[in-house]
Amino acid sequence: MNAFEYFAPTTLKEAIDILNEKGEEASILNGGTDLIVRMRDGISDPKYVVDIKKIKGMDDIRIENGRVFIGASALLNDLGNNQDIQKRYPFLSKAALSIGSKQVRNRATCIGNICNASPLAGMATPLLALNATVHVFGNYGEKDILLKDFFVFVRKTLLKHGEIVTGISFEEQACLGVFTKISRRRKVDLSTVCSTVVKKYDEYRISFGAVAPTPVRLNKTEAFLKGKMLSKDIIEKACELAMSEVSPISDIRASESYRRELVQVMLRNSLSQWY
Amino acid sequence: MKKVINFTLNGEVVEHAVDTNKTLLKMLREDFELTGAKEGCGAGECGACTVIMNEKAVNSCLVLAVEIEGASITTIEGLTLDGILDPLQESFIDNAALQCGYCTPGMIMTAKVLLNENPHPTEEEIKEGISGNLCRCTGYKKIVEAIEKVANDNEE
Repeated sequence: MNAFEYFAPTTLKEAIDILNEKGEEASILNGGTDLIVRMRDGISDPKYVVDIKKIKGMDDIRIENGRVFIGASALLNDLGNNQDIQKRYPFLSKAALSIGSKQVRNRATCIGNICNASPLAGMATPLLALNATVHVFGNYGEKDILLKDFFVFVRKTLLKHGEIVTGISFEEQACLGVFTKISRRRKVDLSTVCSTVVKKYDEYRISFGAVAPTPVRLNKTEAFLKGKMLSKDIIEKACELAMSEVSPISDIRASESYRRELVQVMLRNSLSQWY
Repeated sequence: MKKVINFTLNGEVVEHAVDTNKTLLKMLREDFELTGAKEGCGAGECGACTVIMNEKAVNSCLVLAVEIEGASITTIEGLTLDGILDPLQESFIDNAALQCGYCTPGMIMTAKVLLNENPHPTEEEIKEGISGNLCRCTGYKKIVEAIEKVANDNEE
């Protein structure tokens, strides 16, 4: 790991000023479970590291004014073990606890997982299905970006240099949801394919990870299911449509065709819970 | 490039000038000669570098030393007080829960936090608890048994 200058600002303003002053050679450090490995491997080589964990109020998880807010530095274990989240959004809690090991989740954050923008990001599918919003802070002040617009490509988001994600939030909603992760080994592994299916009355929100360059919502399948009573026939048609809507690749974890097959199996198993 | 940090290491208050690009693991091993924590994968998959940071188990290879400002760190060396081994260390020896020993410090530190949080875990909870620690020789059966023994003693 090459030498760098370390900053631990205590306010957002201070953090933004350092990022703007130091330019592209500055990296934001949050949980560090991804960045530190990349720095060790020489994939990232920042001259300046800006640790945002000391900024006050960034590790909040709170439900207020009808919204659930997850702060940028909230740990995956804190989110996964949060009793309100476990009770109201158990699929979100399950997704958080499916990532890495317990040791990793004591450092890694939900927001870091989103900002890395891996195609298989564990936190992406439940938050996409909850219609989450990403809160961004820059030298202009605050702005909101819908999570569905946030992901641009593999490891690319709309976030620009000099901006910090302060948290992510979603509207409180009465819904049912199923999170599924298929991996080669049950613990401490990346998803071969992951998904979340949320049901709110007769509306279905379906999101998948590791089947496209970014985590995706299956809009056509959702439109087909909207307002329909679930039946065996309807579920089969939805599964066929879902397979045609994804664009997986073959890699070390699975082949393209296996992933496509998983999409229909996972969707069928999820929808069948409500049929 | 060095930065002065203040933290508690195995119960002692420490002020130390550390290279910013050293991980907590590297600092413990090179600057403090605490070589119990090991580097296995260096990526958060094997758990051989597990130490306790503010009562939580963390991979010390995934923490920069400069990040521990104000924190309390306990390593395997800190479990032995005045030459008296921790019950977990005793139990790993008594139950032959180690062979090469590379994973042992990490395994014990993970188990230590597990038993602090849940003094009476089931076998399943122990397996789940140590799922972030890999062992490549003894196997997990004896390790789980060694932790179970300590948990059973907790019950008495």
